[in-house]
Amino acid sequence: MSADEPVVVTRHLTKRFGSLTAVDDVSLSLHRGQILGFIGPNGAGKTTTIRILVGLMRPTSGSASVAGADCVREARKIKRLVGYMPDNFGYYDNMRVREYLDFFGAAFGLSRRRRRRRIDEVMEMTGCRDLQDRFVESLSHGMKQRVGLARTLLHDPQVLILDEPANGLDPEARIEMRQILVRLARMGKALLVTSHILPELARICDQVAILSRGKLRAFGTLADIMRSVSRRRMIELQLLVRDQLDEAAQLIRQAIEEDGQVVASATENVVRFRTSRSETEMSDLLERLIQQGIKVAQFREVHTDLEDAFLSVTRTDGQPAAAAVSGERS
Amino acid sequence: MTNPIIERELVGALRTRKAAAFLVGVAVLFTVIVALRWPTDARVALSGSGSQQMCRLFAYGLLAALLLLVPGFPATSIVREKKQGTLELLLNSSIKPWGIYLGKLVGVMGLVVLLVATSLPAAAACYAMGGVGLGQLATLYLVLLVMALEYTALGLLVSSYCNSTDSALRVTYGLVLLAALVTVGPHLFLEGKGGPYAQLAARLRYISPIPAVMELVGQSDWSGRGVISARGAPGRFLLVAVISTLAMMGATIARLNHRIFDRARPQGRITDERSLVVRLFRRLVFLVDPQRRKRGIAPLVNPVMVKEFRSRRFGRIHWVLRLVAACAVISLTLAYLTTAGTLDWGVETIGGIMAMLQVGLIVLLAPSLAGGLISSERESGGWELLRMTPLSARSIVCGKLMSVLWTLLLVLLATVPGYLVVIAIKPELWYQVSRVLVCLVLTAVFAMLLSAAMSSIFRRTAVATAVAYTLLVGICGGTLLIWFARNAPFGREVVEAALKLNPLAAALGIIRMADFAQYDLLPANWWITGYLSAACLLILVFQTWRLTRPQ
Repeated sequence: MSADEPVVVTRHLTKRFGSLTAVDDVSLSLHRGQILGFIGPNGAGKTTTIRILVGLMRPTSGSASVAGADCVREARKIKRLVGYMPDNFGYYDNMRVREYLDFFGAAFGLSRRRRRRRIDEVMEMTGCRDLQDRFVESLSHGMKQRVGLARTLLHDPQVLILDEPANGLDPEARIEMRQILVRLARMGKALLVTSHILPELARICDQVAILSRGKLRAFGTLADIMRSVSRRRMIELQLLVRDQLDEAAQLIRQAIEEDGQVVASATENVVRFRTSRSETEMSDLLERLIQQGIKVAQFREVHTDLEDAFLSVTRTDGQPAAAAVSGERS
Repeated sequence: MTNPIIERELVGALRTRKAAAFLVGVAVLFTVIVALRWPTDARVALSGSGSQQMCRLFAYGLLAALLLLVPGFPATSIVREKKQGTLELLLNSSIKPWGIYLGKLVGVMGLVVLLVATSLPAAAACYAMGGVGLGQLATLYLVLLVMALEYTALGLLVSSYCNSTDSALRVTYGLVLLAALVTVGPHLFLEGKGGPYAQLAARLRYISPIPAVMELVGQSDWSGRGVISARGAPGRFLLVAVISTLAMMGATIARLNHRIFDRARPQGRITDERSLVVRLFRRLVFLVDPQRRKRGIAPLVNPVMVKEFRSRRFGRIHWVLRLVAACAVISLTLAYLTTAGTLDWGVETIGGIMAMLQVGLIVLLAPSLAGGLISSERESGGWELLRMTPLSARSIVCGKLMSVLWTLLLVLLATVPGYLVVIAIKPELWYQVSRVLVCLVLTAVFAMLLSAAMSSIFRRTAVATAVAYTLLVGICGGTLLIWFARNAPFGREVVEAALKLNPLAAALGIIRMADFAQYDLLPANWWITGYLSAACLLILVFQTWRLTRPQ
């Protein structure tokens, strides 16, 4: 297959468990050397999609392929093409790190000599050379994540699917993990990474897929998604007097009408809303608020990042995700 | 209830459907026993023999049920809290260590009392039919309850020391097997022979509740040879049990404090980096040093088998070698003592002891080695990783089974020198010895496949191991309880049918051990063991296929 062709492709991928549709018509693609940030709230269908991609699950309909190999029909081939790091580490008792990696190397059919070389390489790459004689079960969570990544890289797969690789890492280890992932992408590997630490993903991802309730809500480069979300800017109004919160929210609702959702946070004394209205209209709104006696401390546009994009996309699918936090009313 | 642990342990356990079904099942079983044995004849024997027979039946049934079921609950009780992190919370609460202990003890004993209560209608029926005294029944219940208390205390003590539920189960069932069955073994062989060994064996059996129950249900003695033996087994058992229970309770309560967590993460010290003297010493002690840096897995060797040998908690190669050496020494010592004339045992007795030793080891080892083959992978998340490798389901299962089979065969092979000595003494016995070895190999294969099948059915290793132990001990030990009551209420046919299930009985029958030689157990036992093994293999293969295919 040519270098321009995507290495991971899903077409209308759907998975149903009885009446529950876990993955609903998901189509996405990933090229070599790219990192795809795969994000979504808990239960969005991320792990189900991943499990279909690595051949552990069959889709109800649609198709998925990795490097041209069909994930259903060529599941054995997929195992050599994909390195999968689940969020659950999967360790064995009484095994030292080197023995653990040796076992998985042997399970992937690497010869003893090649295995020894690969183990040295991946331990060097993931920074766990000093851990080689430690028992796997005695490692801290961060160390286990490194060993898990080393295990994933052993058979030199073309595609890496990493479920929450930065989970439980301290800030320094998180930076190191980020650097390792970027290095792997530069080596030409395609990476599909899920994480709940969105700023981390935003720094390294070439593409982002946002999944919510099984549906792909947004897919593209980070810039594309920001642009689509930024059509409706987030405005934040900070009040001096808490009693005026409902009155201010009401005035804003009247002004922007059906244009966006207004969320009032009593704990922060803030009203936030999204709108595509022009600068002039916003200026008029501010003037009207002041005329009505609302004591405005701040009226500003909040710049959109991946977290905002995520919230914006997931909130508009009929599920008021973060707005349900106590102390907030919309 | 003032102790919240009692509420959680007892009420929580009783709330489950399984517990309700279990209690109803036991109640139905005892009702059926009463219904089947209830006299329909207009004439009733004044001696009350029918009632006594029924009493024996339900006493042995209750004894077997308590022996098999009770140890599993306390064995996992503390260690599970330790693993889940809730023991730290309990120790940090205002509940005192003895309160925690009492909560757990009462929780298990509550279940036991309920279980025992289900047998009360059967006991009342025995009493109503006559021939069984109220005092006799009360003493029987006292013995059974004290036995349950003793094994609960034992399970809790083991649970406080172990670091995993499966190892706690393994050690507890092993100790219960030792205390209840193995301690009566020497008396079985030495009864009526006289001398210090026979006296020691006669005293040793008071550790077990079986002689006490036998005496209470009116059976003369263990092997029923009509030899008059000392009375007072219930009293002596109660004394031993109460003292050991108190000691175990004190020891466990003393462990319930912060020191139970006083354990640093192992730093992975490696022998290769130690001095030459230390390396040589360790080589002598271990033969295969577990802390030596290992070479990579050799080509053409199933990596799963090597992984199993390296990673399992119990049965790693240095322990297997020690066990093999111990077996070889014991079997050769037995053979030497007999040939040197120190003991006046016949070759049948030696063969019987060796067969019992081997079956005991198989029953003890197989569930602990094979009970977690699949379930432990699923618990640790390793199964998903194995599925992501190109290894086929067949090579995964083969690797796992081979790791268990090699261990069991090594243990069996270790006693071959002892059998060779037996053949040297009596060359005509070679045919019997070869048949005994077939029995033992079949037992090993069956025990392994049964445990592995349970491991593929149950998600938790502790449950799989407990079920495997219960079934194996039920087959190898439970059927012997029917044999104990061979004169009454069970007739020859019933006893023979029960013993056909038991490979140990088949082996003892081949050796022509007294009281086993009269039954015709072969080749039926081989066929039954073979069919059961095949059924277990089918279950294992089906479950593995189900678990490895894409969902």
